[in-house]
Amino acid sequence: MASAMTIRPRRPMGFWIAKGAQYGMLILFALFVLVPFMWVIFTALKSNLEIAQEPLGLPPNWRFENLAQAWNQGKFSRYFINSVIVTVPIVILVVSLSCLAGYGLARLKMPGRMLIFYFFLVGLMVPFTAIMIPLFYILRDIGVLGTYWAMILPQTAISLPFGIFFMRAFFSGLPYDLTDAAKIDGCNDFGVFRRVMLPLAGPAVAALVVFNFMGSWNAFLLPLIYLQSDKLRPIMTGMMFFTTRWGPDYSMSMAGTLIVMAPIMAVYLAFQRQFIQGLTAGAVRG
Amino acid sequence: MTDSIRQFFADRKLRDYATGYAFVLPALVMYVIFVVYPFFYTIYLSLTKWDGAKPVKEFVGFLNYEKLFADPRLWSALSHNFIWIILGTVTPVAIGLFLGVLLWRGVRGMVFFRTVYFLPVVLAPVAVGIIWKWMYNPQFGPINSTLRAVGLDVLAKGWLGDPYLALPAIILAGVWGYFGFCFVVIMAGLQNIDMEQIDAALVDGANGLERLWYIIIPGLRHVLTMITAFTLILGVNVFDIIWITTRGGPGRATHVIATYTYNTAFRESYVGYGSALAIVMGLVSLVLSFIFISIRERGGD
Repeated sequence: MASAMTIRPRRPMGFWIAKGAQYGMLILFALFVLVPFMWVIFTALKSNLEIAQEPLGLPPNWRFENLAQAWNQGKFSRYFINSVIVTVPIVILVVSLSCLAGYGLARLKMPGRMLIFYFFLVGLMVPFTAIMIPLFYILRDIGVLGTYWAMILPQTAISLPFGIFFMRAFFSGLPYDLTDAAKIDGCNDFGVFRRVMLPLAGPAVAALVVFNFMGSWNAFLLPLIYLQSDKLRPIMTGMMFFTTRWGPDYSMSMAGTLIVMAPIMAVYLAFQRQFIQGLTAGAVRG
Repeated sequence: MTDSIRQFFADRKLRDYATGYAFVLPALVMYVIFVVYPFFYTIYLSLTKWDGAKPVKEFVGFLNYEKLFADPRLWSALSHNFIWIILGTVTPVAIGLFLGVLLWRGVRGMVFFRTVYFLPVVLAPVAVGIIWKWMYNPQFGPINSTLRAVGLDVLAKGWLGDPYLALPAIILAGVWGYFGFCFVVIMAGLQNIDMEQIDAALVDGANGLERLWYIIIPGLRHVLTMITAFTLILGVNVFDIIWITTRGGPGRATHVIATYTYNTAFRESYVGYGSALAIVMGLVSLVLSFIFISIRERGGD
């Protein structure tokens, strides 16, 4: 660390040593990230016999048919569809309710505004575990257990405190002149929100979409408890059941893992700036 | 009746208030039904003995809490959370800071390194767990295979089957999945550090370590508190990666409060006792949040 920071143009020799050490460390950590991925891919494309004989090297024959086989054996198309069916409404609900409430709490006058805001904030401190047990019986009693709603409703609710906190912070930062101008032009409060404020919130909304998409796509404990039927199972619990069932069949379970990881990694590589902004949204602004 | 309603809405101020509440109400309803109400319901369940199926929940007062204090499994689970929080915070933050300082002033290939380091962050903890379960596989896993290939057979182990190694092994997997997050947040914080201060320190002959300690770390104070808050929450709530890799085993060597609670309430059907565990977890989380907030407030600005 020290050497990398004492780069001075006057000492060419030391400069090159420092530069080399710097890149050496950067590459070392890049390998720490990439090597496990590499082995997942290699293992997925070998047969089990090839894994036993040559666990480390490149696949002797690249068996891409493993992926097709895992896809068929593992009902992954069903799991993917289930994930989409629960994630889309969750993201829409969380983002729209958070925008409305965040805007209301930031810009509209009402008695008890701060109280309501703090009431939501307490929700940031309540871990899911602290509510997961009775939620099961509540969802059962209102008759949604055994439907997708058993995940959509609670996942939306637990995501609201952060969404509201985030959107309120954003709307608070917008200048008041805009609101006043729109009001003079005859907009009501909802008109101001929809026509003036919301269009400005693009980047914040995008970050919240990514954050909640990832949160609900990657959720594990919640569907493990509330979406137990195989017909409803989303990709994460589906993947767990797949790898458990095919446990000692390493080639199959790694092929299944690769199928699940590949799309999200492809989307990340295409939109990495938005991903990084979305996933660090809560931390960077503070 | 209708007159009074009309009068109510005729009042400009009250109409404004109604608009405000209308914006907040949908979120509030969802939040109360599916977060606030269940929380109080958990408190109620924690005072009962119930298996989740019987029609009657037997009220037992604080019996479950008395049992909690004498339950060695709870204390062992909490100690694992504690280890997770300490190692799971210090390691990724240290790595993130180290890499952040290395890349700070711009390096050829900056975008490449950032993209790679952040890559595991987009993966689900479930996927991270499955990848590392394979890495640690005792028979053909890459780690043991590599050790055998270089002649270090003695070091090849059943990593996740060893009660002393299993927890650190899973934490390493967690660090792999998380350090990129710390790195990106720290990089963002580094952009706000005053370069003139660094140059002034250079003129004064401060070495790299001194600059790190007296300028960079204080400049990152806010960012570091935010990350610590995140890792604290993650460390209290950690479940997915442990459930995927070891389910709390071998023995109870990797059970944390969340896996213990889930197991008790849903697999062993001790709903009352599981709820008491859930309340303990809620309290731990609450206390840590308050400590964190007060530190942040005292930190000033």
